Amino acid sequence: EVPILISEDTVISQPAKILNFLRKQKYNADYELSAKQGADTLAYIALLEEKLLPALLHTFWVEAENYCSVTKPWFASRIPFPLSLYLPGKMSREALNRILLTRGVPPLYSLTEVEAQIYRDAKECLNLLSKRLGTSQFFFGNTPSTLDAFVFGFLAPLYKVCFPRIQLQEHLKQLPNLCRFCDDILSCYFRLAVSGHSPAGQDTVDANLQKLTQLVNKESNLIEKMDDNLRKSPQHPPRKLTTLKLATGGEESSPLNRLSP
Amino acid sequence: ATLCFQAFLQMCNLPVRVVCRANAEYMSPSGKLPFIHVGNQVVSELGPIVQFVKAKGHSLSDGLDEVQKAEMKAYMELVNNMLLTAELYLQWCDDVTVEEITHPRYGSPYPWPLNRILSYQKQWEIRRKMKAIGWAGKSLEQVLEDVDQCCQALSQRLGTQPYFFNKQPTELDALVFGHLFTILTTQLTSDELSEKVKNYSNLIAFCRRIEQQYFEGHDKDSSASATSRSAKRSLLK
Repeated sequence: EVPILISEDTVISQPAKILNFLRKQKYNADYELSAKQGADTLAYIALLEEKLLPALLHTFWVEAENYCSVTKPWFASRIPFPLSLYLPGKMSREALNRILLTRGVPPLYSLTEVEAQIYRDAKECLNLLSKRLGTSQFFFGNTPSTLDAFVFGFLAPLYKVCFPRIQLQEHLKQLPNLCRFCDDILSCYFRLAVSGHSPAGQDTVDANLQKLTQLVNKESNLIEKMDDNLRKSPQHPPRKLTTLKLATGGEESSPLNRLSP
Repeated sequence: ATLCFQAFLQMCNLPVRVVCRANAEYMSPSGKLPFIHVGNQVVSELGPIVQFVKAKGHSLSDGLDEVQKAEMKAYMELVNNMLLTAELYLQWCDDVTVEEITHPRYGSPYPWPLNRILSYQKQWEIRRKMKAIGWAGKSLEQVLEDVDQCCQALSQRLGTQPYFFNKQPTELDALVFGHLFTILTTQLTSDELSEKVKNYSNLIAFCRRIEQQYFEGHDKDSSASATSRSAKRSLLK
């Protein structure tokens, strides 16, 4: 199960438990939020899971062209044989199952109708996020919080991965403030080259796979990055973007080590 | 859930009459309850009903700006995500509640063995859904924790205001009222769920206020559903 946080001898899975663990260690990205902002965080996360997640699952795991040409080869290449033959298919089936069980209720009887509805909901959700973000750097002002990490986690793969079927991605690209939000976090916390152009030809797939490998662990990585920054001054609020110092080399350990089947 | 709609329609100042039918689920166009029957149109579920009412010229959220509307939708999802799922979990995945309350109530309009077959079928369907969204592995304590977290968020958002968006009620107020009131007044095998809500005094005051303002003097019929909760008692004692 991913993501997984390995700290000394402790292994923790699931985002909620990872966040709880970090908070107990006194690392908290929501330190400066008011009670109402904390409540808003919970509400927006629910919005993401209900309205955006089904379409994301569909784009990655159910849409045949996307799944066969991008998702499956990428996951299979990172999972040891013989699980690589079985796990991607299982994840795909689970994704479809989840979509149908939660959204495929009457009067939507066919998969096409369910798909149309979930993409409509996802586009509406992106619009709402864009309106909420406005011109701010992050969702609660100038410093990032848990909500920013969650939104980034949902949006970044959609934004960056080159899929053959990209209707949702096109919609996201029409919301410049969300794209800028993703780019800011990528350049600040992940130090990836921020470029909309991917190399043509044979290298395209490799470059995409590499980017996706790094992005898929963003949640645990982002938390650990905040962890590292906060370790230097525990209980202090997260630093603003402009004053963030890039740590010396070796800190950016390979995300491949964290991926666990 | 019926109460959310009643509250919403009352807030829009639209007269509504609640009727009981054993085959209500089959009458509904989406199979879900409740639904409204207006003239020769039938509309079910909160989203479409709100749209329908809006098309007829009534809306509770017109006064909100774009950011507030986004917030309102987010909080409505929070209620659906946490409260509604917790209610379903308690009704269908907690063995004690299922045996003592849900099975008898759900199967009550039907003769044996149909009552048992239908309620097992429904239970299986709900458990499948819980498994898909990752709630099947949760214990009752964890579910109650989630409910508490949700109530805390709602309580913090409400603060000392009369409604979630200050002076005027919106769809969110109707939705929250419907769920909280149901939790507070439905008889279950234990009081743990309602105790979680009772920890937040502003939420209790909120429910009382809406009950007084919109339901005083109206008949409290039981909802039009075979799966409905037991008859609602008033919060005012």
